[in-house]
Amino acid sequence: MVAPHNLIPEHKLLSESEAKNTAKKYGIPLDKFPKILDADPQAKKLNAKPGQLIAITREDPTGKYTYYRYVVMA
Amino acid sequence: MHAEAIESIRFTMISPDTIKRMSIAKLIVPDTYNEDGYPIDGGLVDQRLGVIDPGLKCKTCGGRVKTCPGHFGHLELVRPVIHPEYAKTIYLLLQSTCQQCHRLLLTDTQVGDMKSAIKVFVGKEDEAEGATIDLTSLAAANTTRDKEILIKKLKSVKKCPYCQAAQRKLKLERPTSFYIEGSRMKADEIRDWLARVPDNDLKLIGIDPVATRPEWFVLTTLLVPPVNVRPSITLESGERSEDDLTHKLVDIMRINQRLEQDIDAGAPQIIIDDLWELLQYHVTSYFNNETPGVPVARHRSTRPLKTLAQRLKGKEGRLRYYLSGKRVNFSARTVVSADANISINEVGVPTRLAENLTVPVYVTLWNIEEAKKLLQRTEYPVIINVITKEGLRKRVTEVTREELLKGIEPGQVLERQLIDGDIALFNRQPTLHRMSIMAHKVRVLPGKTLRINASATTPYNADFDGDEMNLHVPQSLEAQAEARYLMQPKDQLLSPRHGGPIMFAEEDEIIGAFFLTKDDAYFNKDDATEMLAGVGVYELPKPEKNGVYSGKAIFSMILPEGFNFEGKTLDGAEVSIKDGKLLKGIVDERLVGNGGGTLLLKIFEDIGSDAAVDFLSRLTKMTLIVSVKKGITISVKDYYMPDNVEKERVAIVKDVEAKAGALIEKYKQKKLDPLPGYTRRETLEIIVMAQLEEARHMAQKLLSKSIDLDNRAYLMAKLKARGTILNLVMTSVFLGQQSIRGKRPSRGYNRRVLPYFRRGDPNPSAKGFIKSSFSDGLSPTEFYMHAMGARDSSMTKSLVTAVSGYLQRRLINAMQDFYADKNGAVKDASGALIQTIYGGDGIDPIRERVMKDKAKS
Repeated sequence: MVAPHNLIPEHKLLSESEAKNTAKKYGIPLDKFPKILDADPQAKKLNAKPGQLIAITREDPTGKYTYYRYVVMA
Repeated sequence: MHAEAIESIRFTMISPDTIKRMSIAKLIVPDTYNEDGYPIDGGLVDQRLGVIDPGLKCKTCGGRVKTCPGHFGHLELVRPVIHPEYAKTIYLLLQSTCQQCHRLLLTDTQVGDMKSAIKVFVGKEDEAEGATIDLTSLAAANTTRDKEILIKKLKSVKKCPYCQAAQRKLKLERPTSFYIEGSRMKADEIRDWLARVPDNDLKLIGIDPVATRPEWFVLTTLLVPPVNVRPSITLESGERSEDDLTHKLVDIMRINQRLEQDIDAGAPQIIIDDLWELLQYHVTSYFNNETPGVPVARHRSTRPLKTLAQRLKGKEGRLRYYLSGKRVNFSARTVVSADANISINEVGVPTRLAENLTVPVYVTLWNIEEAKKLLQRTEYPVIINVITKEGLRKRVTEVTREELLKGIEPGQVLERQLIDGDIALFNRQPTLHRMSIMAHKVRVLPGKTLRINASATTPYNADFDGDEMNLHVPQSLEAQAEARYLMQPKDQLLSPRHGGPIMFAEEDEIIGAFFLTKDDAYFNKDDATEMLAGVGVYELPKPEKNGVYSGKAIFSMILPEGFNFEGKTLDGAEVSIKDGKLLKGIVDERLVGNGGGTLLLKIFEDIGSDAAVDFLSRLTKMTLIVSVKKGITISVKDYYMPDNVEKERVAIVKDVEAKAGALIEKYKQKKLDPLPGYTRRETLEIIVMAQLEEARHMAQKLLSKSIDLDNRAYLMAKLKARGTILNLVMTSVFLGQQSIRGKRPSRGYNRRVLPYFRRGDPNPSAKGFIKSSFSDGLSPTEFYMHAMGARDSSMTKSLVTAVSGYLQRRLINAMQDFYADKNGAVKDASGALIQTIYGGDGIDPIRERVMKDKAKS
């Protein structure tokens, strides 16, 4: 398991209803979100399963924003 | 026209039967014309293959040159030949089928295993049934361990699961030779093998046996394209010159015929094999004369033959040149030149062009009278064509005018010559950003060049050293409206890259603005009148007590009414404009030039694009008048430095020499601490280099101290109008350190750059420090160092532009279908999410400040 690292933004696993709402917000099906492998260290850490959505909170000089990744099979 | 959506396109191999069915003639004579110059029947220009000579009739369809589409012929190869472009496919098929029984080297259970593996991947049962078994789709399937075992097994089948025959080693020697266990396989053997692979096994590996039988990859008949595809040219001398394809086909037929004769005569096998190989070579180069591993077939003049693949391939090939290459009407191209008297929103169009370009005038019930008047005209703007309601384009001439005038009715379209005020798109390649195509209003002008305001060159990256630009006249009203409302330079004043102006005052205008607005600038009535009238202002500002007019007051006349502005000049002095009056400060590069254009920006944001463009147009014109009045020139005198500079120069050189010497001494005594990540040697180089570059800064400081703004060259550099202080330093003080790949020159001879230095010479001049200036002249060794630096920078420059240009092209191609949807999320054409919010912050640089202001209020 990977140790926490200040260069890795916060990953959060969304519940089914949260994922649904997010998909609705962007008006696209879940599989149109950017993807992440279930074998990705961060996905593994969250014990994410294919079909789930991970929210990533990123920070840059202009502010904070949320990015999403749809978990797919490796 | 009837249109239907294409559901699918399928590419398949052409079969010998199809070839024979398509063919109109079997060709047997390997020649073109007989002694009388008449096409030989059964030859390569057989008259049944179509007509290319005017006046003749096609023997197949009876059509003439324009109506006969041409007809295919064929020729039968005495011995089969491998199709060179399919050699790889053949190799794959040979590898995956049994050498004895020609079945696929897979057991039924293995096939079942793979299908179930693919089922997991595809997710649907019926799709998996029809799925083809190839290792790529299998690799994507998700049955981890079983999958790996399976793939390993498939890659090393040594025995046929059906007939138990041992499989021998196969080899493909490019382009078309196959070997089995070291011995050559002939094309007919390969053909027989492929012919025996059962249909059902082919389906499994993704070949539809009805559409494509693998034995068709080995050619027995060759389709001969009609003469229209390979027309012969008659030279002035009356001699005929055949197309490259015809030449190649003659070669093929000649060898084919000899092969046949030799076989019939019972010639020895070696001779037959040699000819066979030659036939294979000719067929290979007929398809592609650039096949790797095959000598290039050449014309008698040693020019390589252009065969089938060469016709399609590359920039000048059929695809890129004719299919993706688009040519348009209603466009023009010539050299561009500058015109300070037209607005940046305009383009000067030469009369010759304006007379030939047209704009449609749609005749309606409401404008029919005007349309009639237009049609009656016999001098410049005239109607060139009338497009009738049936869509016929009829030319207006002396003869037809009366009749067309009588027949004029709503629904017709008149094509009118281009006049002032029409809208036209102006473009310069490379079209790198959206400002590379902008809509200008037409100004018809005498002369032969297209003209633009110098300030409009920046977005196009144009100059007037021979640049050519393209002009397009939008035809539909929608296109015209779109151009007018979105694409005019005034709408593109701010760059989406940084949000600041990309059209601004330049060079002479910056200097002019300085002399116009500096504190002690006063003009007499004549000059003030001239300056103001030149920009269309016919009033004078309030004069000073002694009857002169201050430059600031004159400048204020072109400011919008009630406009307020607070800003800073280049050197940080305050500028204040209140109620449309310049009260304090100098208008310089930072306000109206490339240094941000803060004043322009404020006008754009406070009042609008029209005001900003109007201000810029007037400003540039007025400042040019000032420049001309002032008479700004530079001469050698400006590069002649006062005495103290020479003394200081020597001091600076001595200083850096001493510092460099000290560093080297320190290094030699091993007292120099290395920088993190560098060796001691590298550390020395870095510090010495920095030290020597410091010399230039010292020289710049020296210059600023020693000369004043009366030196025009210095003034220009200071105002950022043209040139830099470094240019001055290099012409008048010294060139300073030359560099190669960011380091001091270090290679050449043994431990020295040139043989004129001692090995390990610690003097900076041994490693490219130049003590002379351009006006002194360089010593031979300095000259050489300078040439090395110049070569390095010119090479880096051209390399960097090529690399970054291509990188940008790739980025544009990858991102061209991205768009921001109504929520600000970025998606691509398929709807896939790219960014949750544009740029991670949702900011459009053009509107950033406006957004902030809104947020404040």
